[in-house]
Amino acid sequence: MADPAETRAGGREPFTYALASLAAVLVAMIFFFPIYWSLSTSLRNPMDTFTVVGLGIPWIHFEPTLANWIEQAFTPETRQALANSTIIAGLASLLALALGTPAAYALARFRYRLVSGRDITIWFLSQRILPPVAVVIPFYLMMRAVGLLDTHLALILVNATFVLPFVVVIVRQTFLDLPVELEEQAMVDGCGHVSAFWRIALPLAAPSIAATGLIIFAFTWNEFIFALTIASKEAITVPVHMAGAIDTRGVQFWFMAVRAMIAMIPPVLIALIAQRYIVRGLTLGAVKG
Amino acid sequence: MRWTSRIRFLFLMPAVLWVLAFTVFPLGYSLYLSFVKIDQTTSVTRVKEPVLDEAGQPVLKSDGTPRTRNVVIKDQTNVTTFVGWNNFARMRSDPQLHEAIRVSLVFVFVAVPLELVLGFLLAVLFNRKLFGRPFFRTVMILPIFATPIAVAYSFFTIFYEEGGPLGWTGVPWLSDPGWALFSVILVDIWQWTPFCFLVFLAALQGVPDELIEAARIDGAGALDLLWRILLPVLQPTIVIVLLLRLAEALKLFDIPFAMTGGGPGVATQPYSLFAFRTGLRFFDLGYASAMAFVLLIVVSIVVTLFFRRLRQTYG
Repeated sequence: MADPAETRAGGREPFTYALASLAAVLVAMIFFFPIYWSLSTSLRNPMDTFTVVGLGIPWIHFEPTLANWIEQAFTPETRQALANSTIIAGLASLLALALGTPAAYALARFRYRLVSGRDITIWFLSQRILPPVAVVIPFYLMMRAVGLLDTHLALILVNATFVLPFVVVIVRQTFLDLPVELEEQAMVDGCGHVSAFWRIALPLAAPSIAATGLIIFAFTWNEFIFALTIASKEAITVPVHMAGAIDTRGVQFWFMAVRAMIAMIPPVLIALIAQRYIVRGLTLGAVKG
Repeated sequence: MRWTSRIRFLFLMPAVLWVLAFTVFPLGYSLYLSFVKIDQTTSVTRVKEPVLDEAGQPVLKSDGTPRTRNVVIKDQTNVTTFVGWNNFARMRSDPQLHEAIRVSLVFVFVAVPLELVLGFLLAVLFNRKLFGRPFFRTVMILPIFATPIAVAYSFFTIFYEEGGPLGWTGVPWLSDPGWALFSVILVDIWQWTPFCFLVFLAALQGVPDELIEAARIDGAGALDLLWRILLPVLQPTIVIVLLLRLAEALKLFDIPFAMTGGGPGVATQPYSLFAFRTGLRFFDLGYASAMAFVLLIVVSIVVTLFFRRLRQTYG
């Protein structure tokens, strides 16, 4: 029996290390398979879609082609959807950061007499838990009433609303983790609250705020139910464009696979860039990853 | 300190007002809608209008009469009638709704616990030195961030019964009601187990090694270690993960929408999807709002149940 600490670290137990590593590789393969399969499908000739044998490995099981990718890349609708998603997710994220960061700072640093900062935070948090379907109908009617159906603006407003609570809760936690002394010192030196926030706290919190911005960009990129409700032609986003892949011309698996890959690449890249902040982000700051 | 108190409000108020305007107001509107019935009628009138040229003069036909074109004017009118508790009463005797509730409950009571248990086990198993560990972690992040609609279509291809990669099993993955529900649960597990895993792994790495060593020295077996040390230490994390997963399970929409369309029949149609269709496909807005409101009450109850933990964690 090895020393317990050694066993846990796998140090002197090459057998356990090998076994655990093998298991990890297997688990990783299972979780990667669906994404891999889409990639593989997207590189096949349409007629190879369902005739491929084995694991559908390019060059071994079929001759890969970029034809589907090229055709999709030159489809105006796909480009339009990509442009729409980028604009909507980008502006909605910026708007949510602009509204949420000062509020987060206020909740981390100031005291409120009427309602405690804690309870306001929990109130924001509960907005995050709210199922979108609960407000999708009134939202649709409101947007119809003001003539904003099928506009970028409507989707920017909706998405900003849905990620705002996320920003408030996470960024507040970031400010709480910063030492308050620096700002106090700055105020002793004659800074006002605003410039202490702007010159001291904000730059220190910037990496975390940037990571938050990336994560909410991914959330808004993936958002589907509101985009489906509000967009019909001009403001169609990538997920809604995807959902149209089946309805129009039967199931075209090869194009679907390309679109699925196109849709997944930006949020997945973001997740990889913001890796360090993912656990903290997904638990709204409850667990430090 | 008048100036400071103004700053305090200026910092906080935009976000609060925003949420009030875009969440609380719609919720109130939704409550109102759930007590009414909206009948939409579209009246179509056709009128002949003279065609004008660039100078604003009527264009004449060869025989000298003005050229005209047909213009269709669509006018949508909503007739709103107050129906009291009718919409809520309808919910009690709607078999489709009851089926949707059953599907959602399956996710809450089957998929979510499975994801937590699987995620926890994987975290305990892989909380050690591994070959290619950063790579492993990276792969586990992908399902969480991959666009759900794209995931649904990928799995639609995988579950395709004739020639799909799982076709050889002969299982009617999407065509049999029972199996279709199973398939949607599988996708949910694929998507969310990594989330549970990553969070639990991060929490486990926060457990001091000395604690585990001390327990080992005291002769604790693996099961003791799990039951007496790891579970109690991780309990706050587990509760938060459970809450976040419950919230997401009640939002379940994209995967069944795109992968099964809620079918076959209504076998995989969760509550959110049914409410959405009732309101925005069949335009039964009052009834759908009533459903949305009941969902809101359920979510409020869940949040209330977790309230003390929420205050401790986030307060």
